[in-house]
Amino acid sequence: MRITRKAAGAAAATAAVALVLTACSGGGDDSAEGGEEGGDVTLTVAWWGNDDRAARYEESIDLFEEANPGITVQTQFQDWENYWTARNTEAAGQSLPDVFQMDLSYLRQYGGTGQLADLSEYTGSQIDTSGFEEALLSSGTIEGAQYGIPTSQNTLALFYNQDVLDTIGVDPLEPGYTWDDFNAFIAEASEAGAGEDPAIYGSGDYTGTFWFFLQWYLQQGEQPFTEDGQLNFDEAAVTEFLNLASELREAGQLYPTERAVQLAPLGGFTSNEAAAEASWDNFLAGYISDSGTENIHMLPMPSGDNGPQQFWKPSMLLSSSANSEHPEEAAELISFLVNDPQVGEIFGTSKGVPAVAAQRDAMNVEEGSVDATVLEYEESVAADVTESAPLPVEGFGSIEAEWMRLAEELGYGNITVDEFVEQWFAFANDAVGQS
Amino acid sequence: MTTLTESPAPQTPPVDHEALARRAAARNKRRVKSVIFHAVAVGATIVVLYPAAWMLFASMKPNSDIIGNTQLIPDVWTAEHYTTALSGIGGVSFWTFFNNSLLLAVLSVVGTVLSSTVAAYAFARIDFPGRGPLFAVMIGTLLLPFHVTIIPQYILFNNLGMVNTYYPLLLPKFLAAEAFFVFLMIQFIRGIPRSLDEAARIDGCGHGRIFFRIILPLMRPAIVTSSIFTFIWSWNDFLGPLLYLKDPALYTMPIALRQYVDQTSVSDYGAQMAMAVLALLPVMIFFVVFQRFLINGVATQGIKG
Repeated sequence: MRITRKAAGAAAATAAVALVLTACSGGGDDSAEGGEEGGDVTLTVAWWGNDDRAARYEESIDLFEEANPGITVQTQFQDWENYWTARNTEAAGQSLPDVFQMDLSYLRQYGGTGQLADLSEYTGSQIDTSGFEEALLSSGTIEGAQYGIPTSQNTLALFYNQDVLDTIGVDPLEPGYTWDDFNAFIAEASEAGAGEDPAIYGSGDYTGTFWFFLQWYLQQGEQPFTEDGQLNFDEAAVTEFLNLASELREAGQLYPTERAVQLAPLGGFTSNEAAAEASWDNFLAGYISDSGTENIHMLPMPSGDNGPQQFWKPSMLLSSSANSEHPEEAAELISFLVNDPQVGEIFGTSKGVPAVAAQRDAMNVEEGSVDATVLEYEESVAADVTESAPLPVEGFGSIEAEWMRLAEELGYGNITVDEFVEQWFAFANDAVGQS
Repeated sequence: MTTLTESPAPQTPPVDHEALARRAAARNKRRVKSVIFHAVAVGATIVVLYPAAWMLFASMKPNSDIIGNTQLIPDVWTAEHYTTALSGIGGVSFWTFFNNSLLLAVLSVVGTVLSSTVAAYAFARIDFPGRGPLFAVMIGTLLLPFHVTIIPQYILFNNLGMVNTYYPLLLPKFLAAEAFFVFLMIQFIRGIPRSLDEAARIDGCGHGRIFFRIILPLMRPAIVTSSIFTFIWSWNDFLGPLLYLKDPALYTMPIALRQYVDQTSVSDYGAQMAMAVLALLPVMIFFVVFQRFLINGVATQGIKG
């Protein structure tokens, strides 16, 4: 059979119907964007977080729009994982948002590939950086280029649940404790909690978190990464760190991986089955709401020979796309979000403690609230913060995830410490790349 | 199944005690088999439905009881999560997400049915030049993993200025880019006797009329099957809307669902569960209404081979 004129006509008619229908669907978009008319400049803004953070951002951005009548801001947000899926795809299309939340672990990946605008062009004019501590601000730079402005800072802390400790009759650690004291504490708590149902443990395997290794390595007097973005530690260092907990691991005194995996997304600590857990200090709000108790307290990290030697990590940064059509307005928005006292009041410590003093002072901190506890903690450890945050290497996100995966395997007993080290370095050498 | 396929014992007119006893034994055996079959089926259903039941009950528990508490039935019943879910996120109402999802799903069904039937008819019945290679290309797209095409596709739509609209999600449907459905329909049309076409042709029908009068009505099972799958896939699609939709007012249900949970801040699992239940309802209703056709469609497919 051959194609007849009639058939071609029918096909064309179908195609026309199809086009009309898609056009209809487009109608919905126009109405959604209708609010933008009248604005000269539209900025796109993206962040990761939940609906609570979204409400805070919307409120802050409304203030910005009020103060800048010519600018309209279009917002979007996703949860952490999907946020990076979406950003990676946009980066491929050179269409990253004008302003978006950046994490230290992705800074080199995006900055190094020319996706981010160098904001140092705008500092002093559109971006006011006078309220920043130099060390914190410089954590957003790579080789002199300011790829991100830190919005807030946090530092590591050891959380303990006093309710759980009361149940098993164990005393909390005192500030100034060492890694050995921490081990002894875990052993004591796990022993005391073995009879409970479900069993209570001292803590999970703290060697399973890459950041704790970095903290420990800084205490050894070394920088974990070189200036040009390479690893600055060897197999022996990792082995030594992993072996810190080997006795506890062999004795089964660490929170079991099987149970932790079953409880995910909660963990042993938030299920009130582990007495202590180390993490970033801004996790306190989440810990309190997930575990259902407010009796959670914070201690500095375990000390090395020269104290805890902690560092401020920018808990998140704001970056701008190198392809932004309105770089100056984007810079203004960044400056507004990090400096404006009202914004500081709106966010509180939900993103970490604000980096700029004007925002810290503007917060309505209630006595005994989560915000107050985090602020107090940061003030109390300020003297112990002697290091600047290690600037992660390219591929940091993936080597961090691989560390966590291997730690899980280690917890299951599927691999040994030596195999962990060997496999991790094989992966990391590949991921970090030999630039 | 076993009870249905077993043929009854042969009927013999004269009274035969041996045969009667045999029949009774067979009946007993059948009954035992039937009990075992039903027990296994009920057991399997419980296992399969447990997560759904868990989700339903979790949506009515206070937040602190959802995770970590293994009890299925809540101690305290609450409807607050539904209030939260229905009140929307970030200033966008729940019904916006719902309507967006519905619009996308319905238009996807329309697009897929319109384009796939036409494309399938051409492949199955018209001997146009280049049919063989084009058919191979179409099958090739089936073999290509979806993830390979994400980035090129994104760049394409980005350059066309179509990001943050529904075009990237709908246009492929209207252009028969779903090779699976095209292939399914081609196989279906191949099963329809050609003599029907020829009879129509003798009566003076061209391709247009053969398609609309003969083939299309006969393709109903294949169309229904494709529609159901398209609807469900589109309703549940996560990655497409995640990548292409930027404005929260355009978000679909699966995207909105994820907005309650973020590991780096406080997560509202209750609201997420409530939203999940609400998101599941339309698909369930759709499925209950159309499952008769779905099973018919699959059965006919099976016979046509």
